[in-house]
Order: sequence, then structure tokens, then C-alpha cells
Amino acid sequence: MGMNRYLYDGSADGLLSAIAWILAEESDPEQVALAARKDTLFEDGLFIGTDATLAESLFSRLRKQLPDVAHTLYFCMLAEKEGIETSLLHYIFLAFTHGDKINDYLTHAAVRDIVSISKKAARELHRMKGLLRFEKLRDGAYLAKMEPDHNIIHPLAYHFRTRLKAQHWFLYDVKRRTAARWSNGTLQFGTIEQFTTPALSDDEKQVQALWQTFFKTIAIPDRKNARLQKSNMPMKYWKYLTEKQGE
Amino acid sequence: MDTLAKLQILSGAARYDASCASSGSKREAPACGTGNTSQSGICHSWSDDGRCISLLKILLSNDCRYDCAYCVNRSSNAVERASFTAREVVDLTLDFYRRNYIEGLFLSSAVMQSPDVTMERMVRVVETLRLEEQFGGYIHLKIIPGCSSELVRKAGLYADRISVNIELPSQDSLRRLAPQKHKDSILEPMALIGREIHSSLVERKADRRAPRFAPAGQSTQMIIGASPETDFQILRLSQGLYKKMNLKRVYYSAYVPVIADNRLPVLAAPPLLREHRLYQADWLLRFYGFSAEEILSDDLPDLDETFDPKTAWALRHPEFFPVDINRADYPTLLRVPGIGVTSAKRIIAARRFSAITPEGMKKIGVVLKRAKYFIASAGRPFEKPDRTPALIRQQLLLGEGDGVAPPRQLLLSGLFA
Ligand code: SF4
Repeated sequence: MGMNRYLYDGSADGLLSAIAWILAEESDPEQVALAARKDTLFEDGLFIGTDATLAESLFSRLRKQLPDVAHTLYFCMLAEKEGIETSLLHYIFLAFTHGDKINDYLTHAAVRDIVSISKKAARELHRMKGLLRFEKLRDGAYLAKMEPDHNIIHPLAYHFRTRLKAQHWFLYDVKRRTAARWSNGTLQFGTIEQFTTPALSDDEKQVQALWQTFFKTIAIPDRKNARLQKSNMPMKYWKYLTEKQGE
Repeated sequence: MDTLAKLQILSGAARYDASCASSGSKREAPACGTGNTSQSGICHSWSDDGRCISLLKILLSNDCRYDCAYCVNRSSNAVERASFTAREVVDLTLDFYRRNYIEGLFLSSAVMQSPDVTMERMVRVVETLRLEEQFGGYIHLKIIPGCSSELVRKAGLYADRISVNIELPSQDSLRRLAPQKHKDSILEPMALIGREIHSSLVERKADRRAPRFAPAGQSTQMIIGASPETDFQILRLSQGLYKKMNLKRVYYSAYVPVIADNRLPVLAAPPLLREHRLYQADWLLRFYGFSAEEILSDDLPDLDETFDPKTAWALRHPEFFPVDINRADYPTLLRVPGIGVTSAKRIIAARRFSAITPEGMKKIGVVLKRAKYFIASAGRPFEKPDRTPALIRQQLLLGEGDGVAPPRQLLLSGLFA
């Protein structure tokens, strides 16, 4: 018996509604493959149309019944990774069979895939909570630029909404051209077509110099360990790190 | 002197303090203020020595009245002196926090005019941060031994963590190397803090609005290798501190010879490997259910240089092994060299779905390099059963090219597996 193949439109809603549809209609979802439609001539598979209500109801069902699974799914989506749909489908199917403890079933290939993708995204989010750097602008607002691997601007903005609630700030994902804005108690998300770097406040360079000094002095001179530093703080993040400018 | 020059002196003077933990406190951001703390702690950068930077770690002053033999800032040493004003520390903290450089402040100080004067100034800094600036970030405050209990109480109300350094592992050494510090002036505030933390927890159970007292707990630090105590003495001291004083962490700091003094040993290099082994043994005390007496004894007073303390224990106790990974309970799994908290939890979780095979161990991400000599599954050991401890010893040594190289890091957490 060959695997049944299905396609969806490539959107997050499309993915979730396709999974919901397959779980309802197929007797053995573990024998089913799912992929994003690429509109090539030779694609084979049955297209499942996107149904936002179906997607929404699957996600809210997961949140209520299987919070750990919903959490894993959420981070998995931030990874924007191609080709994981089949694993995700099998993972969610298994979750409904085994319950919320499914993340422990690491001997199963699909579970292992999904859990590790989701963990990577969660790890980068945690990392960025520390590595994001704000610069003070002339008008008193703060701006932080970043180029994370995962699309984490939403959860990151929620983190800073509570942490830096008294100041007006922007997050800007340079690669995805998306931005978050916090001002006067409202958080907004949007895209930026044309980004021009605004002028910095007069004391900004001074504060940066203080931080750079602290960064240099706090290291123990005879214990230099560049390898350890890089493994904890990979060089791909240095571009926007105040303390790593000019390196 | 401008703030930058002071920062250079006063962060340089704080750099040997190993404690950079910013975890264990959950403080909500004040309604109209800045900052909260994160339960798991956040690293904001890693310095050139590879250590995590999460707090603005500085001394309020390095202008010391005391003359501790092992310290650069001792009064008889000619170093450049500086002191921050309270405002300077407040501004630095806020400026850094708003740019997301740090989780908060770690403030310590040399003894200025007197312990009380110093502690009062330090408390003023945190009071300004908390009350005037509505700062909700993390604060770790050192207690200056000998200051009044009133100031200790105040410190605990504003700080997330407070600590009194025990400095040296015995009263004798303290008398010899830090003559102005007395055992009682260290242990009394420790006990007081322990009591206050306890009663605040009790009160908060009855009333959620009761004030918190150092919600991230109390820690301490001692210098290793400046005095003659054995590892056994040190571990028993730590064990007592965890059990009787309810400390969250004991930090060990390898003695770095900064100035010559005939009361101090001459060391070729700071005893980093020893420090590393003590952290590993400390880990066994806190998370692995070991007692100091199991790890060391009067006949075996110092930690093995070649093997980590858990492996050393396992090699002395062949009767305990092999451990069956499908049957053993959590505390037993934890005793297997190479299996840490994460691996033990994963094994227990995964075996609910099906019995774990050697292959399965790899799949769930357990590293077998070391563990394989000590475990069995379905009655069969992973490695040939006829291995004597001596052979295993050799095998373990061969398997680790870097087993004896001293680590180049001060603070290593999550050492196992
Ligand atoms: S009291 Fe502290 S700063 Fe002063 S000499 Fe002793 S250890 Fe150094």
C-alpha cells in the first residue's frame, strides 16, 4: 500500500487545517504524507484547501488538551522550515493517541524531528532575550535590530513588553523586514518596506563606550577563551552586539 | 575621575567574583517602572574568558580599610582607588538595563570607613533603584561582614539575592589571612538572612502581599587554595551550609596569586582543576543525593584529579553496577557516570513507551561514552561483564584525551552528561 499524499498552500493556517482534515478523514495518518504545494507540473497529491476556522479549532483544542504539544507546535512554526509537514502530522496524530507526554517519545523519528526543531527555535528565542541590543534614538525611543534564524519577533516583543514597559521601543527583523513597536501601552506588528536608520541620541555613544569598557574589563586576562565565547555566543549574532562592534 | 575610569577600576576589581547567577527570582515589573526578572536567568553576553555576563558586576568602592592577605584591594597594596557615588551606580544600571545589556546589578564593595558606612551606601543604591526608579530587574547585594542587622534586613527587602562571603574554609585561616574579619561577623548575618527568608516565605503563604525577603536566596563564596584545608573539609562545610543555613549556592574561587605575601602559598597557577572538581562534587551534593562522606573520607581527603567525583565513586563501588536502565529508579540512574539529570529524566520518560535498547539510548540523546561501562539492559551489560574496575579505569582514561586538562573556565554548570 503506497502512502497517501496531500498538498496544502504553504501557509501556517493551510498546514494546520490540512492536518485537521487528515486526522478526521484518514484512518491511519501515520501512512499519510503532507507537503506544501510548489506548483510544479509533476506534483502529485490531493490538494487540501485552507480553512482558517478548522486551523483555529485544531490549535485551540491542542492548547486546552495538550498544552506542551501546542507549545512545541508554536515554536516549530517559528522555524519556518520546509519539508517537516509529514513529521508534524505524525507528531500531532501521536499526541492525540499518547497524550501530552508525547515529547518524551524520542525514540520515534517524527517526534524527535519536531521536538528538536522546536527546541532550536525556543533556544534562539531565549538567546535573543539576552543578545538583543537597543540603541537610544534622538527622540528618546529605543531601537533594536536583529537577524535571527527563526521568526521570533512576536514572542520576543511579548518578552520586552513586560520588561521594558516604561520606554518606547522598536524591534526590527532586518532579514524579514518585520517590525514590532511598543508605545503608550500598545504593541503593534508590521512590515517595513524602506528602512532608514534614525539618528542616535546625543549620549548614546557614551553609554555604549561604558558598556564596551565593562565588557573588556570583566574578563579575566589570563583565562582568554575565544572558543568558549564563540560557542556560547555564535559569531552570527555579533553584527548587532554593541560590545562586538569593530571586531 | 569620570565614570568611565571608575568603571574600569571597579569592574576590574569585581571580576574574580564567580557568582553571576541571575536566576531563581520571579519579580514582576512594577506598574510604571522598568524591568522584571526571569525564573531561569538570562545571559546577555559572554566575556573574552567565555563566562556568562548577566549582571553589571562592580564594587561600589575598592578603597579598603582592611588588609586581607589574598586581596588586591588590601589597604597595604598600592593600587589606584576609586569609589562610585550612589547616583553613578543607579544611572549605569538603568542605562545598561534599558539597552538590554544586563539582567540587573551585582553590587559588592571593599570596606570604606566602616562596615556600616559601606553597607549604608550600598543599601542607598538599591533603595533608589527600587523606590525612586521603580526598577524591577535583578539585584544581588553583598553583605559587608560586621554591618548592623538593620542594614542586613533592609538589603534583603530590596535585593533578589544577598550573600555573605565565607572567604576561607576555616576559622584558623580566616584569623591568619583576614585578621579583621571574624567568623561570627560572617556567620551571624548568614543565620539572620536564613531566618528572614524562612519567615518571609511563611508569611507570604498566609498573605500574598507580605514582603519578599531575598527571593532568590542566599549564596556564599570561598577561596580555594590560599589555605591548607582539604577538599573533604571544604565539602563538609558546604554540606553544612546547604543543610543548616539553607544556602542556594556555594561558589568556589580558585586562588589567583595577585600579590606576594609570606602567609600565602606559592602556586605555579591558580588551582583551576581543583575548583572544577569541587563544583562537580558540590553538584553531587545538591542534585544527585550524595553526601560529603560518600565522596571523600579522612583516608581519602582530596578529590581525584583524573576522574570526576562521580566516576571516582563508581570505580570504588563496583558492587553497585551495572545499573539496569529499564528498571533502576531515578536516584540510582543518577549515580551512573555520564548520566546527568537530563539523561536520567529522559530515560525514565522514554521507557514508559517501550523498553530502551542500547540503540534507543543514543536516539534519546544519552551519551554512552562513559555510561556504557556501568549500565545494563535486559540483563545484559552494555560492555563485556568481565571488566574489572582496573580495566574500566584504563578504558575511561584512554577514551578521554582531555580528561586531565584543567578547564579554562571559572564557573561550570551542568557538568555531567
Ligand atoms: S575586606 Fe574585601 S576588599 Fe578589603 S582587603 Fe579584605 S577582601 Fe579585599
